[in-house]
Amino acid sequence: MKDGDGALMGDTKVSATNVNVYYGEAHAIKDVSVEIGDKAVTAFIGPSGCGKSTFLRCINRMNDTIDICRVTGSILLEGEDINAKSVDPVQLRARVGMVFQKPNPFPKSIYDNVAYGPKIHGMATNKPDLDAIVESCLRKAALWDEVKDRLDKPGTGLSGGQQQRLCIARAIATSPEVLLMDEPCSALDPIATARVEELIDELRDSFAIVIVTHSMQQAARVSQKTAFFHLGVMVEYDDTDKIFTNPSDKRTQDYITGRFG
Amino acid sequence: MGVSTLILVVLALAAAGYIAGRMKAKAMERAGARPHSRSGFHAAHVMNWVLLPSLAVIVLIVIARPIIVDNAVRAEFPAELRQDETQSNLIAGMVSQIAGGLTLLDEGEREQVRVGLVPLRPLLAEKGVALGGADIEPFMVRAADTLNGLNSTFSGALWLLTILAAVIGGALGWLQIKPEMRARNRVETVIKGVLIAASAIAILTTVGIVFSMLSESLRFFSMVSPVNFFFGSTWDPRFAAADSTGDEGGQYGLLPLLWGTAYISIIALIIAVPIGLFSAIYMAEYASKRVRGIVKPIIEVLAGIPTIVYGFFALVTVGPIIRDAVAVPLGLGSSGSSVMTAGVVMGIMIIPFISSLSDDIINAVPQSLRDGSYGLGATKSETVRQVVLPAALPGIVGAVLLAASRAIGETMIVVLAAGVATRISLNPFQEMTTITVKIVSQLTGDTEFTSPQVLVAFALGLTLFVVTLGLNIYALHIVRKYREQYD
Amino acid sequence: MADIAAPRRAASLAEVTPSLKKRRAAEARFKAYGIAAISVALFFLVALLSTVFYNGASAFQQTSIRLTVDLKQDVIDPQGRNTADAVMTGNVFRWGGLVDEALLSQLGIDPNDELLAADAQKLISGGARIYLRDYVAENLDQIGTKQEIWFLADGVVDAFMKGSISEETEESRRPIKDRQIAMLRQLEEAGALEKKFNTGLFTFGASSRAETAGVGAAMVGSMYMMLVVLALALPIGVAASIYLEEFAPKNRWTDLIEVNINNLAAVPSIVFGILGLAVFINFFGLPRSAALVGGLVLTLMTLPTIIIATRASLKAVPPSIREAALGVGASKMQAVFHHVLPLAMPGILTGTIIGLAQALGETAPLLMIGMVAFIADIPSGPTDPATALPVQIFMWANMAERAFVERTSAAIIVLLGFLLIMNVTAILLRKRFERRW
Repeated sequence: MKDGDGALMGDTKVSATNVNVYYGEAHAIKDVSVEIGDKAVTAFIGPSGCGKSTFLRCINRMNDTIDICRVTGSILLEGEDINAKSVDPVQLRARVGMVFQKPNPFPKSIYDNVAYGPKIHGMATNKPDLDAIVESCLRKAALWDEVKDRLDKPGTGLSGGQQQRLCIARAIATSPEVLLMDEPCSALDPIATARVEELIDELRDSFAIVIVTHSMQQAARVSQKTAFFHLGVMVEYDDTDKIFTNPSDKRTQDYITGRFG
Repeated sequence: MGVSTLILVVLALAAAGYIAGRMKAKAMERAGARPHSRSGFHAAHVMNWVLLPSLAVIVLIVIARPIIVDNAVRAEFPAELRQDETQSNLIAGMVSQIAGGLTLLDEGEREQVRVGLVPLRPLLAEKGVALGGADIEPFMVRAADTLNGLNSTFSGALWLLTILAAVIGGALGWLQIKPEMRARNRVETVIKGVLIAASAIAILTTVGIVFSMLSESLRFFSMVSPVNFFFGSTWDPRFAAADSTGDEGGQYGLLPLLWGTAYISIIALIIAVPIGLFSAIYMAEYASKRVRGIVKPIIEVLAGIPTIVYGFFALVTVGPIIRDAVAVPLGLGSSGSSVMTAGVVMGIMIIPFISSLSDDIINAVPQSLRDGSYGLGATKSETVRQVVLPAALPGIVGAVLLAASRAIGETMIVVLAAGVATRISLNPFQEMTTITVKIVSQLTGDTEFTSPQVLVAFALGLTLFVVTLGLNIYALHIVRKYREQYD
Repeated sequence: MADIAAPRRAASLAEVTPSLKKRRAAEARFKAYGIAAISVALFFLVALLSTVFYNGASAFQQTSIRLTVDLKQDVIDPQGRNTADAVMTGNVFRWGGLVDEALLSQLGIDPNDELLAADAQKLISGGARIYLRDYVAENLDQIGTKQEIWFLADGVVDAFMKGSISEETEESRRPIKDRQIAMLRQLEEAGALEKKFNTGLFTFGASSRAETAGVGAAMVGSMYMMLVVLALALPIGVAASIYLEEFAPKNRWTDLIEVNINNLAAVPSIVFGILGLAVFINFFGLPRSAALVGGLVLTLMTLPTIIIATRASLKAVPPSIREAALGVGASKMQAVFHHVLPLAMPGILTGTIIGLAQALGETAPLLMIGMVAFIADIPSGPTDPATALPVQIFMWANMAERAFVERTSAAIIVLLGFLLIMNVTAILLRKRFERRW
C-alpha cells in the first residue's frame, strides 16, 4: 500500500521552525522544526508524554483553548504565519481539520454531524448542496453504505469504529488542506483500526495528513515520513523506511527496538 | 411531673446501669478472664437494656393514652351526641376544660358539683377558669371525672411501668455479662438500629406529609365535591359562623388560584431563564478563572437571601416602580401588588438556581465535544449554541423544571406582592392570587378545624405537594440520566 | 472533490471574508449577552441590598428627648413603701402625668393652655410612661428626687428628625405641626434632643408604636428554634447519612430513601408548615406559636440539606482509610466512628451551618403553626409563645407607616447580618479544614 520513496509527495504544506510550547512553567515542546509535505502522511511517534500531541495541536492552534498554554516560534501554512495576530483560528481550523483520539461525535444526527462544518462556514447555501457534501464525505470516509438509511439517527448510536469514521467524515467536510489525526485508532479494536488505516491511505491523495500514534507498526503501515519525539524534543525526522530500518539517532533506535516507550 | 422528668429519671438509671456494668466487667478482667469485648461495651450493653424497654414503655403509653381516654370520655356522652362528630368534638373540648377546672377544686366542692348542688360555671369562674360554649350538663361533669381519673391512673402507671422496665431490663443485661458474651456486636447492632431509625425519619416525614394532608383533604371533600374544587372557577370561601354547619359555606374553585400560580411562575421563568442561562454560559465558557471565582459566589448570594426579604423588596421598591412607570401610564392597573411585581421578583430569586445548576451541567459536557467543534473551525459561540447547549439541553430542562417547582411553591413573595384578589385574566398588572397565598390566609387567624374554610387549605396543600413532587421527580430523573450519560 | 460545491475560501489566512465578519459579530453579540445577563443579575442584587440599607440604616438611631423629671413621692407611692411592687402596680397614668409635667416645664408651656400642651405631649412616645415606671422600679432610691432621663421621642418626631418628613410640605399635609417643630428646635437648642444609638431595636418586642418596636423577642424566638434544630437535625442527619453511606445495602429500600431525601429537599417549605400544624399541634397537642414546634418543623425541613452535605463529605473520605482501620482489627462501626466521621466533620459542620442559615430565614412554615403572634415580651423558654425574626419582618412589612418601613429594613439588616456571619463561618471552616485526597 505504501509508496515509500516520497516521489509522489507534493510541496511543503506546513513548515514549523523553532516551535516552543509552555504549559505554565513546564516546557513541553523544545525547539521543534519540521516540514510537512502535501498529499502524504506524516507520522509523529514517541513514548507517551513526549509532546507529539501537543505539537500536533499547535498546527491548528487548538492549544488556544487552554488558558495556560503559550506557543513561540513560527508555523507557516503555505507560507503564511498561522500565529499572526491577524489570523483568526476559526479560519485556520477550516483549512486544518482535526480528528481526535476518542471518537467525539456531537449528540446530533449523523447527517448534522457531517453538515455542521459546512454550515458554520457557509459552504453550502441550500439543502441539495449540503446533501451532496454529506454524501460525498460519508462515501470518502467509507461509511456511506453503512449509514445511508439512518442519516437522521444520532451519531452516538454508532459503533466505536463507525463513530471515528464519522468524525473523519465530519473533519473532511470543510474540505481542509491538512488533516491532523491525534491517535485516531487508540480507542478502536483491530478490525476497526484496519478500516481507518485503509481510509487514511485513500485520503492521502487529497490532503496532507499528520497522524500522531504510539503504535510503531501503524506509523510504518500508513506513513511516508516519520518524526520521532522524545521528552519534548524532535529527535529524528526522515522517510518512514529510513526511520524504521536505519535510524541515525541512538534514542530512535532504542525506541524502535522496544528498549523503552 | 411530666414525661420529661420521667425521661431524666430513665437517663439517670441508664447511667447507673452503665457504671454497674463497667464495674462488673472490670472485675472480670481483673480476675484474669479474657473477655470477648472491652468493659466499655459491656457497660453500654447494660445501658441499652435499661433504655430500650423503658423508652418503649413510655412511647407506647404516651401514644395509647389519648386514644383510650378519649374513647372513655365519649362513652359518657349521650348516644345521639356521639352521632354528630362536629358537636361531640366541641363537647370533648369543653369536657377537658371542665376537667382542668375540677382539679382546682377541693374534694368537698367537687362532691357538691357532682350531685348538682352548686353550679359549676360560677365556681370555676371564681378560680379564674372561664368556661365557654354550651350549657354544662351532668354527663359532662361525669365525663370530666372519668377523664381526670383515667389521667391520674395513666400517670401512675406510666411511672411505675417505666421504672420497672428500666430496672428489670438493667438487671437482665447486667446478669448477661460474661467473658464470652459478644457485647460489642450487640451494642453495635443497637447503634445500627438507631442509625436505621434516623434514616427512616426521612420516609416518615413524607408519609406524615401525605397522610396528614390526605386525611384532612378527605374531610374537606366530604363537604365540597372534588369536581367543584378542581374545576370550579370561583373562589369565594365566605367565612360563615363556626356552627352554621347546614350552609356549605362558599365556593372553592381551584382554577383561579392555579392560574395565578402558573402566570406568576411563567413570568418568573421568562425573567430568570435567559439571565440565568446566559450567566451560566458566560461563566462556564468565557470568564477567566478569576472572574468566575468572584462573580459566581456573588450571584449565589441571591440564593441565600431569605424569601421574606424579596417580598419586602417587591412591596416597597419593585411594586411601586412597576405601578408608576408601567401599569398606570398604560392604564392597565393601579395596584402595586400584581402578577408582574411578584413574577419579576420571583424571577430574580430563581436566577441563581438556574445559573448554578446550568453552570454545573454545561461544565459536565465533555471537553472532547468542544474540541471536535473547534477543530472544525467553529467559533466559541457557534460551539456553545450548536454543540454544548444541545448536549446540555436535558440537564438544563431539568434545572428549569426544578426552578419552576421552586416558583410554584414560593410563598412569602406572593403573600406580600401578588395581592389577594382571585381572578383569571391575562393582564399581568392586576392583582391575582396563588395557591400558597390562600393556604396562608385560610390557615392563619382563628382556626376552627371542622369548617371547610380551613380544611380547604389542606386540599390546596396536597395539590401543591403533588404538583411540585411530580415536577421534582421528573426533573431529578432527567438530571440524573443526563449525568450518567457523561460519566 | 468535483462533486462538492467549491467553497468560497479566502485567498489568505488573514483575509476577512464577509462571512467571517458576520460570524465575528455574532460571536461578539453572544459574549455581550452573557456579560449583560451577569450585569443584570448583579444589578438586581445591588438594588435589593441598597433598598434595604437605604431604608434601614436610619433605624439604628432613634431620636430621644431629655427631661428633668420630678419623681414625686406622693404621686409615685403615697404610702411611702418604696418597693418595686408598689411602683409596678397602681394607676399607669400617674407616670404619664410626671412625664408631661417635666416636658411642659422644659418647654415653658402653661399646662392650662390645653391645645398647646396636647401638641407638646405628642412629641414624646406613648411608651414613655411604661419606661419611666420600669426606670423607677429599678432605681427606687431616686424616688423623691429630680432626675434627668432620656425618653424616646414619638415616631413622627423621629421621622421628622431623620428628614423623611419635610418641613417644606404644607402644614396640613404633614403629621407634624409648625408649632411642634418650633418646640423641637427649642429642645434641640437646649441640648435636650438627640439621636442616640437605638438599643431598643435589639431589646424590645413587638409593639404597635414604631419607636418602641424591636426585634429582641423575635431574636430570642429564632435562637430557641435554632437550638432545637441544631440539637435534633445534626445528630439525626449524621446518623441517617452514616447508615445510608456506610451500612445500607444497595436495595430498593435504600433507593427509595435516597429518592425521597432528594425530593424532600425540594418540597415547598409551606408544606412542612402544614405538616407541623397537622402532626405536632393537632395530633401531639404541642402548644401553638411555640418555638419548640417551629424548631421541629424547621428540623424536618433542614434534615435533607444536612443529609446531602454529610453524605457528600463521607463519600469524600477515601476507602483506604476504612480499609486501614479494618486491617488493624477495628469493627466496621469503629472504623466509621473513629476514623471516617472525624475526617468528614468539617464538611458536615459546613453543611449544617448552611442548613441552619436556610432555616433561620424561613418564614412560610412558621405562619402555619401560629408564630405570627404579637409577642411583646421576650419568651422565657422554647414552649412559650414566640415569634421569629423573619416572621417579625413579615408582620412589620404589612404596616403602612414610614417608621415601620424603616424598622422592617433594620430587622432585615439584622437578619442578613446573622446569615452573613453564619455563611462566612461556613466558608472559613471549609477553607481551614478542607482536605484534598
